[in-house]
Amino acid sequence: MTSILQIVVGGLLQGGVFAIAALGFSLVFRVTNVVNLSQGAFCVLGAMGMYYFQVNFGWPILPASIAAVVCATTFCLLVGAFTFVPAVSRLPSSSALVLTAGLLTFFTGITLVVWGNQPYALPPFSGEAPLVIGTLRIPSQGIWLAAISTAMILGLWLLLQKTTLGRALRACAENPAAARLMGIDLRAMILLSFGLAAMIGAIGGVLVAPVMSLQFDSGQFFTISGFIAVAIGGMGSFAGSIVGGILLGVAEQFAAYYVSSLFANTLALLLLLGVLVLRPAGLFPSGPQRRSDVRDEGRIHRAVVRLPARRGLAFAVILLGVLAVVPALPMPSGLLESLVISLILYIAVLGLDVLMGYAGQVSLGHAGFMAVGGYCAAILATSYGWPPFAAVVAAVILSVLCALLLALATGRLRGHYLALATLTFGLLIDSLAVGLVDLTGGPSGLVGVPAFEVAGFSFNTPMRMYYLTLALAAILVLGLEGGMRLGFGRALKAVRSDQLAAAALGVNVSRVKIAALCIAAALASLSGSLYAFSFHFLSPEMVETTRSFEMIAMLVLGGEGTLIGGLFGSLALTLLPTLVQDLAVFKTAVEGALLVVIFLFMPEGIFGRLVIWLNKIPSHGTAIAYAKAKL
Amino acid sequence: MTVSALECRSVSKIFGGVLAVDDVSLTVPSGSVSALIGPNGAGKTTLFNVTTNLFAPTSGEVSFFGKNVAGLSSHHIAALGVIRTFQTARVFPGMTTIENILSGAHLHVRTSVASQMLWSRTARQEERCLTEKADAVLDMIGLGHARDVAATDLPIGAQKLVEVVRALMAKPKLLLLDEPAAGLNDRETAELAVFLRAICDAGTSIIVVEHNMSLVMEVADLVFVLDAGRLIASGAPQDIQRDPKVIEAYLSRPEGQIA
Repeated sequence: MTSILQIVVGGLLQGGVFAIAALGFSLVFRVTNVVNLSQGAFCVLGAMGMYYFQVNFGWPILPASIAAVVCATTFCLLVGAFTFVPAVSRLPSSSALVLTAGLLTFFTGITLVVWGNQPYALPPFSGEAPLVIGTLRIPSQGIWLAAISTAMILGLWLLLQKTTLGRALRACAENPAAARLMGIDLRAMILLSFGLAAMIGAIGGVLVAPVMSLQFDSGQFFTISGFIAVAIGGMGSFAGSIVGGILLGVAEQFAAYYVSSLFANTLALLLLLGVLVLRPAGLFPSGPQRRSDVRDEGRIHRAVVRLPARRGLAFAVILLGVLAVVPALPMPSGLLESLVISLILYIAVLGLDVLMGYAGQVSLGHAGFMAVGGYCAAILATSYGWPPFAAVVAAVILSVLCALLLALATGRLRGHYLALATLTFGLLIDSLAVGLVDLTGGPSGLVGVPAFEVAGFSFNTPMRMYYLTLALAAILVLGLEGGMRLGFGRALKAVRSDQLAAAALGVNVSRVKIAALCIAAALASLSGSLYAFSFHFLSPEMVETTRSFEMIAMLVLGGEGTLIGGLFGSLALTLLPTLVQDLAVFKTAVEGALLVVIFLFMPEGIFGRLVIWLNKIPSHGTAIAYAKAKL
Repeated sequence: MTVSALECRSVSKIFGGVLAVDDVSLTVPSGSVSALIGPNGAGKTTLFNVTTNLFAPTSGEVSFFGKNVAGLSSHHIAALGVIRTFQTARVFPGMTTIENILSGAHLHVRTSVASQMLWSRTARQEERCLTEKADAVLDMIGLGHARDVAATDLPIGAQKLVEVVRALMAKPKLLLLDEPAAGLNDRETAELAVFLRAICDAGTSIIVVEHNMSLVMEVADLVFVLDAGRLIASGAPQDIQRDPKVIEAYLSRPEGQIA
């Protein structure tokens, strides 16, 4: 009995942390209709600030925590003003969602650069001694946490319901266009909500730092837990955030106690997937919501970036030629291996491009399919002695089946809920890879994966892998280009830009989306298995959610909806840290910043820029015509 | 007797207490151009949306060519040969004009995704054939020069025309046009009337929702008049123009006018 109560207390404590993160989500979502994935990073920034003032400067708790919250909030406000606010104002909400993933990566990277990768822990506010009631031990920090969270919730509720400012915030949530006509400064309100969320997050971080050790990438944990809490509770509902957070915390504690701490995550994610499928709006739906699957007029105006057929062909031939001779050139050690990784990741990014760039469906769990493919192929080849080729084929089939299952389970979900379901899927696969130790080798990974082999020919050197992946990528691009230019590609693009109009022309929207998801899953799976065969090793962190975000960054950086673009993105993000080893610590920050900046200021990406630039060069024919016209 | 293109039997649609369409029964014969007119807020577009199952009717039944549409989704209705356009031009952004028009032929793409990816001869032949057809209709509406520009860069009037020919690429048996003349000038409207007549003569029945009376009078064989959700008159355009109920419906509104 006592032990159950003790678990509940632990769950409440943990749930309080999740609830604070969830509260920030709800607030921003209410005002902007965007799920701000950078929420978790606010907690880490607050906690790190606290460490800085309390330990480095030796300040007492109260001034140190105030200074930490003020500094973190100010920094987030500055970043938010130049990124989040313009994104919400002019990008469709699915792109804004991806942009916040970039912000999370950016904040994580900044924390890594400033505070390094060691874990930090702080002393509790009022000593280590827990409060003891009977046999029950309640950590003193838990009381602080509960009291301050309650005060924050009360304050937020008063602000939103009882003040003019709160009314303006709520008006933005209900109908932004009308709110603007009423003289409400929309951008100021978006920034205000972002700043308030940052403040809530930072306070949460300061409170949590004494009970759990934090490091640079803990932001992802808070984001994910907070998001799960808010999705269970009901997006945009404050009561839901609290209930969802506490439910999640208690469920995780029980799962950790009775099953295994390795599976605590898995159960939480299954809980979420269940809620998403059965009650997409959560346990506390917050009134009528803006529909996110209806196109927002004027927001998805995309430039048409095309190379004329002959130039495209010439470009492709030159590019392939360059890539074919590169290994023959003298180059620093390790570069060839990095090139192989770029090409392997490019294959997965190609799939993501079909799904995101062409069909317009955001997937935040692409690495999940890489994991399914990689582990399936590696396990079959290593433990069961399958020939690698057959193992890869089996892995692709399994991934496509997973994609179909996911599509079936999430058939009712639209807009960003689908993106969030894919995120959940990626996390679920990740937690299974960690938890199923006997099958996957657990956190330390699967070792002894053989080299890839077809008909007795072994691809056991980087040089051979390079040409294998290059040939595969070339064939895939050629095939996909065929599909994308013709009827299938047009149907995908029609679905991306206007589902209603597409359906009116006879396009079976859900079937087209499922087809795109299956292609994406198949290519990610192929990429994942090549990854395992190339490294002779596969660990969960090679295919975790960070990888999903990285692949989105690659795609956006290179240029969405171009197929070729992803190659530039994956080359840039893989080779830069290899070439400039000293700067490797900046990799995460730069990735995040690039994703955000490219999304806002160069939506056509590197390849799109290149095409625009190439199209400016007059071709032979038009030059002659121009000369004749002059005469 | 030929099957009617569209038949509505006692169709009603209630939006949160507002009776947008009130017990409308009408039959549109195939092989004709029909117009659905009425003052603002009469429920014309709502009736359109209900017939194409964008919203299910609160009560009543709709059938196209004798086939009841209850429970069918938009793409099923399109597959019946009933293609609609929208009140605001909805060309696909991020696609060129020619791609927009080609996407209308979706139902007639016979080659599989796999065969498209393999660049098979049949897929390429089909594409060439569709492109020729698309270029032909593009020239027909005088937008051949705008073939490779982003469709959203065209003026609104041109976008509405692109939407009409995109719908035509689906080879519809029945074309539902929601205010095709909105945004067109007088000359363009007259051209549109000729164009619609030609489409009808080629075997496609047409129903237009329209405000522009000159277009309706010019092209419609049959006119249905809605007011406050009710069907108040139907018949040949000349008769409708003289119908006292119609005149009253239009005159009783400050902005209303007829002909």
